[in-house]
Amino acid sequence: MLPATLDDLKVLDLSQGLAGPICAKILADFGADVVKVEPLSGDASRGMAPFFGKESHPEKSLVYLLANLNKRGVKVNFDDAEGRDLLRQMALKADVIIESYKPGYLASLGLGYETLSRGNPGLIMVSITPFGQTGPYKDYKNEEIVTYALSGIMSISGLADSEPLKHGGMQSQYEGGLAGTVGTLAAITARDMLGEGQHVDVSLQDVVTSTLVIHQPMYGWVGAVQGRRRPSGSNYGQVQECKDGYFIWQTGGGAEWSDIIEFFGSEQLKEERFATVAGRALHGIDLDRIVLDATKDRTMQELFLTASEKYHMLFGIVQEPKDLANCPHLDAREYFQEVDHPVMGKIKVPFRLWSMPDAPAVYRRASPLLGQHNSEVFVEMLGMDSDRVAALAAKGVI
Amino acid sequence: MIRMSKKPLEGIRVIDSSYVFAGPYSTGLLGDLGAEVIKVEGPTRPDFTRGGAFSGLLPENEPRDDPWNRMSAYNLVNRGKKSLVLDLTRKEGRDVFVDLLKKSDVLVENFTPRVMRGWGLDYPNLKKLNPGIIMVSNTGYGRGGPYSAYPAQATTQEATHGLAAVTGYRGGEPSKAGQSYVDFLAAWTICMAAMLGLRYRRRFGQGLWADIGMYQLGCYNVSEFVMDNIANGARGERIGNRHRQYAPQGTYRCAGKDAWCSLSVRDDEEWRALCNVMGKPEMAGDARYASEAGRREHHDAIDAMITQWTSPLSKIEAMERLQVAGVPAGAVLDGRDLHFNAQLKARGLIEKVAFPPEREMGPYRPLLGRPWNFSKIPLAIKGPAPAYGQHNTEVMRDVLGYDEARIAALHAEKLAVEGKPTKPREFPMMGMDKRVEIGRLAYWEPDYREKLGIL
Repeated sequence: MLPATLDDLKVLDLSQGLAGPICAKILADFGADVVKVEPLSGDASRGMAPFFGKESHPEKSLVYLLANLNKRGVKVNFDDAEGRDLLRQMALKADVIIESYKPGYLASLGLGYETLSRGNPGLIMVSITPFGQTGPYKDYKNEEIVTYALSGIMSISGLADSEPLKHGGMQSQYEGGLAGTVGTLAAITARDMLGEGQHVDVSLQDVVTSTLVIHQPMYGWVGAVQGRRRPSGSNYGQVQECKDGYFIWQTGGGAEWSDIIEFFGSEQLKEERFATVAGRALHGIDLDRIVLDATKDRTMQELFLTASEKYHMLFGIVQEPKDLANCPHLDAREYFQEVDHPVMGKIKVPFRLWSMPDAPAVYRRASPLLGQHNSEVFVEMLGMDSDRVAALAAKGVI
Repeated sequence: MIRMSKKPLEGIRVIDSSYVFAGPYSTGLLGDLGAEVIKVEGPTRPDFTRGGAFSGLLPENEPRDDPWNRMSAYNLVNRGKKSLVLDLTRKEGRDVFVDLLKKSDVLVENFTPRVMRGWGLDYPNLKKLNPGIIMVSNTGYGRGGPYSAYPAQATTQEATHGLAAVTGYRGGEPSKAGQSYVDFLAAWTICMAAMLGLRYRRRFGQGLWADIGMYQLGCYNVSEFVMDNIANGARGERIGNRHRQYAPQGTYRCAGKDAWCSLSVRDDEEWRALCNVMGKPEMAGDARYASEAGRREHHDAIDAMITQWTSPLSKIEAMERLQVAGVPAGAVLDGRDLHFNAQLKARGLIEKVAFPPEREMGPYRPLLGRPWNFSKIPLAIKGPAPAYGQHNTEVMRDVLGYDEARIAALHAEKLAVEGKPTKPREFPMMGMDKRVEIGRLAYWEPDYREKLGIL
C-alpha cells in the first residue's frame, strides 16, 4: 500500500465541541498529523454527556473520545503571553488550523489568520462556528436547538398542530464536521495547485440550511412553503407499529405492488382501489389499518429481512442505539474501532465513515488525555529541550 | 483581498451517472468548485428529480412544454452541469460512456453493484480503461456485509440508521426527520472522497475507488447514543425539544400563525438572564429553579411561564430580546423566511441564478449555494441546470472528438437523445390552493417574485 493521502500535512486542531473536532479527525484518519491544542481547562466536549460510567469526568466524555481519535494532544494557556507565543510558533509549522472560537477571539489574542499566515503564506485556517465570521448573528449565543430553528429544518419536522421538532442529538454538529471537511479539502486542493493558503469560514446555520434542497427552492419557484405533517390521516410513509417496534415501508425499490401484497399477506390489499399511487394516497387510512393488522404479530427483524431479501422492497425498521451497537452489517463494514483508552479501557467506537480500499481511514491512536503529548510535540515540532518543557509546565504555560 | 487565479477544481472532469439527491448534489458542489460536470441520464430513465415525488414544484405551477427541465429540486442539485443522454442499456450507448470515462477524472455513480459489474465497469475493470480515474460509488449499504444488496433510500434509512428512534415528541412515537436526510450526509462524503482521491492521484499517480454506504453515515450521526449504549447500556429516548442536561430548553409559541422561538438555558447565568428578560427577576432567586436539576424537575412549569412571555411577541422580537439578554435563542424560520433572513442574506447562502430566456423560467431563481466561504476564492453557481440532452453534441464533439456524422447516427438510433425523454416521469398537476388544502403545503404567496425582486 502507498503512503496515506494526507500524511504530508500538519494540522492544529484548536476547535472544541463536535463539528470542528470531527473535521480534524477525518483529516487524521487519512494520514494528517493532527495535534489537538486545548486550553488548560480542556475542550468543552470533555464536559459533555454521555460519560463512560455515567460519571462526569474530563477523561470520560464519550463525545470527546469519538471526535478526537487519531490525534495527539497538548494544552496551552491562551491567556499567557508565552502560551500565545508557543501557538504562533506552532502555526508557523502547520499546514492547516481548524478552530471554532467565537469570531474575533483568536484575533484579539494576536492569533488571527492575518497574523498567523504572515510568516506562513501556505497556512489554511478553517473556522467552523454557529453563524460564521460575518453577519448580524455572528456573535449570537448558540445551542443545537438554536441552529436548528434558524436553519429552517425544524419548521418541517414534527406535527402541524404541535411545536416544530428538533431532530435527536446533535445533527448540526455532525453535519458541520462533514461539510467543514469538504471546505477544508477544497482549500487544500487550491493550495496544492497555487501554493497559497486562505481562511475558510463555515457556518453551521448555512450547513443545515443546505440540506433543504426540496424545501428551499419551492418558494422561489412558486411562492410555496411546506409545513409539518398533519396529525390525522394516513400514516403511510411514516413509522408504523409492529409486534416489537416500528417500521417504515414504501413502494418502489425492486418490488412490484403484487410483491408487496404477497409480503403483507393480506387479501384486502388486492382491492382495485389500492392498485395505484393515487388510490393508495386517497385510501391511506384503510391501507394503514390493513397493514397494521397484517404486521401486528410480526417482529421488526423478520419484517426487515423478508421485505428486503425476498421482496426487494424499500423497508426500514426503527433501530434503537442497542441495535446499531450490535449490527452485523456495521461489523462487516468494519465501522467500529476497538480503542484502548488509558482511562476508559477497551471500548468500541464508531470510526470508519466509508471504505476506500487503496487509501483507507487508518486507526492509529486513542483520543488524547489533556496535555498527554506536551513533551513529545513541543520537543519534536518546536525543537524544545525537555528542561524548557518542564519549566513551561511549572509556570502554568502548558 | 488577494484572489486566487482559478477555482480549486478547474480542469477536473466529473462524470455523474447518479440519480436523485446525494450524487447529483455532490457533483453540483464540485461544479461550484470549478469542475466540469457531465450529467449522464438514460432516454427511458430520466433522473427522478425530473418529475414525481422527489422533484419539487414547477415555476408558477406550469409545466409548459418541458416540465422535466423545470422542476425545482432538479434545478437546485444539477446547477452548472452539462447534460448527456445515453442509452446505457445498449452496448453502442455504453461505448460512448466508456470513451467518456477514459477522458475523465472522477465518476460518481449509484447503480446497484450488479449493474456496473454486468457492464464490465466495476472498479477493477474501469481502472484498466483509465488507471487515474477516481470512482465514487454511493449506495444504501455499501459493498459487502449482509445488507449490501438491500434496496434503500433515505426515507426508510432514517429509521434503520437510528435517527427516528431518538427523534420525536416526549413519550410519543419515533418521528421521521423528513427530506431525504441521509442523502446530504452522503453528498458531502462523496465530495470528500472525490477530493481525497484526486489528491492521492496527484501524489502517487493512480486513482482509487470509494465505496460509500449511506447507512453508515446516518449511524455516525447518532454516535453519542450508540456509545452511551456500548458504555452504559443506555437505551436512548425521545425527549422532544428538551436537552438531556440543560434546562429549560424548548420551542415556544409566539404571536402570528405557526410562529415559534427556540431557546436553551445552559447555566445559572443564562437562567438569571432569562428571568430578567421575562420581567421576573424574583424567579432567579427561587430555590426550586436555582439548580439545573431543579429546573429539569420543574420544566413544565417553567415552559408555561416562558410561553406566557413569548406569546405576544413576534418570533424575531423574542429571539432578539433573548439574545441581547444573553440567552441562546433562535426563531424557527420557514421556507419563506430563509429568503429574507438577515444572517443568511449577509452570508450570501442563497444565490440568484440566471436562466436564459428560451428556458422560460423567468430571469432568476434563488437557489442554495454552499455552506463555506473562502477568503481567496470567490465562488458562485456557474449557471442553470441543463435541459435534457442539451450538451450531447458539444460533449461528443469537443470531449470525445466524434465527427458530425457519428453524432447524427447516434441520435438517429436513439442511442443519444435530446429534447424530450422517451419516457418522461409523471408530475401530478394540482392547483396551489388544493396543495394547501390537503396539507402538502402550509401556504403559498402568489406575489413571491415581487417580494424576492425577481420580476
